[in-house]
Amino acid sequence: MKIPPLLALYRTVAQFHENETLIGWLQGSRVVVWLTPQRRKAILCVGAVFAAVAGTLSRQTRSGDSHEAATWLVPAAALPILLGIVYLLYLMAARFSRLPAFVRARPQICVHAFFWVLLVSIWLNPFPSAFAAAVMALVAGSFPYLIWRCGYMLLCGQRGKAARTKFTDHFFYIFPVWDGTNTPPGKGHDNLSRAEAQTAAAYSRSILAGIKLLLLVALWKGAMQVIGAVVYGDPKSALTGLLTGHDLGIPRLRFIVNGNVTPPLGIIWLSLYLELIWECLFIAAKGHVWIGMLRLFGFNVFRNTYKPLLAESVAEFWSRYYYYFKELMVEFFFLPTYLRVFRNRPMLRIVVAVFAAAFLGNMYYHLLQAKHPLIAADFPHLWWLLGARLIFCLMLAAGIAVSMLRQQRLRARVDALGRPRGGVRRLGRIVGVWTFFAIINYWNVPVGVTIPQRARSFLSIFGL
Amino acid sequence: MEPERRKNDLIDFLRTIQRPDFPLHEIDGDLSLVESGLIDSLALLQIITYLEQTYEIDFREKGIDPGDLRSVNAILEFVARETTA
Repeated sequence: MKIPPLLALYRTVAQFHENETLIGWLQGSRVVVWLTPQRRKAILCVGAVFAAVAGTLSRQTRSGDSHEAATWLVPAAALPILLGIVYLLYLMAARFSRLPAFVRARPQICVHAFFWVLLVSIWLNPFPSAFAAAVMALVAGSFPYLIWRCGYMLLCGQRGKAARTKFTDHFFYIFPVWDGTNTPPGKGHDNLSRAEAQTAAAYSRSILAGIKLLLLVALWKGAMQVIGAVVYGDPKSALTGLLTGHDLGIPRLRFIVNGNVTPPLGIIWLSLYLELIWECLFIAAKGHVWIGMLRLFGFNVFRNTYKPLLAESVAEFWSRYYYYFKELMVEFFFLPTYLRVFRNRPMLRIVVAVFAAAFLGNMYYHLLQAKHPLIAADFPHLWWLLGARLIFCLMLAAGIAVSMLRQQRLRARVDALGRPRGGVRRLGRIVGVWTFFAIINYWNVPVGVTIPQRARSFLSIFGL
Repeated sequence: MEPERRKNDLIDFLRTIQRPDFPLHEIDGDLSLVESGLIDSLALLQIITYLEQTYEIDFREKGIDPGDLRSVNAILEFVARETTA
């Protein structure tokens, strides 16, 4: 079939990272030839030292510590402790088979237990001075960022793949120069080494794929500016001034949830869907920076966000929206549960594993993320931050479980020739997924209202 | 079990769990099962169950590296490793 010229041009431009002429030209360039995998990793390790220092300093600043004299001494004392802990965990991964049987069976639980012991000791405050207490608080406050990264290092050991690795094979993703959230983009050594370009040609492909993602960042940020100005009339958008007040005036969802505005029902639903689109653009722009950087350094890993708004099932959306968070939940909560419980009851096995990941794991991850109230043992604040998320995670887990079981049932029914991919039914499935996530997102918007208040306004979106 | 028979059995099994909207007629040994759209995360679980039941592999201690299930050849290498260990 002949492709229309405009479509052909679009494909050529959009798929520039697969252009063989471009790849051939790039792989001959001096920089690409010089940047061998070893040199790239060496650069990342030097960057990791800076990232470790900058990250510890930044966590100290954000913790709002008021000990003026201790501001630089605290991170200076905390950093060697953190590096020591990370190195010890590396030794555990590298010599995994020599660890005690209990640690071998549950290495992740051991690391998390260590964190909780540290936390409880901070709550009990047995430290001889305020300085020591501040140092330990900073060590504990750095843990939520490091614990999942070190978790991947231990997983590598558990799988018997860390024995021949060096500390530097892990150091660069534990303190990554591309920063990111507590979720490690690109996962750990196993995944990164599989995706690492070993030849100049593969590296050239990876660079171009990275550049494409960084260009998409600019595109999505531009789209957010346009939506911010045209839809929301957001004063922070650079384009709002140009419209001179001629925006659609749709309120952001957070203003509806906290009761600042009470628009008609149609506008509320519009706001729900638009919030979902906004969130997808936001997470795509952020994730593309991390993965773009990884690809520029030769790790041609999967994107963090891949067309979530085209997902045809709830489970598929969860996988496409924030891939590395989903992977974290799968590897640390879903699979360990799936492999251990109800092995003779397939349906129950899936449901329990989904709840372990999407509900329990998700809640636990966000509990660790709320590190300041956690370290301060400020439980009312923790409840205020996480109460609504409890409902969000419950709905999410139920949605994913139903989606996975439904997929399994459909698969058993549909013959190998399959159902048609296009058409109205596909559109219906996509709209269903949008609606599900738009609705549950109501419980994920961070605003200062109580759960009963949020529940009352939530019912109002159904006209109740 | 002979390697060739093991491979054929695995391919037969993959045909029963492939996504209905992505039917593949030829399954190459090195084809990436996830990237090709042949299987999804649900199918991954079914592969785990298949390996547990067919080869009595116990994943509880070592866990599972999804990378070991990325292609037919990777799965067969994994099975060979685990059954000879």
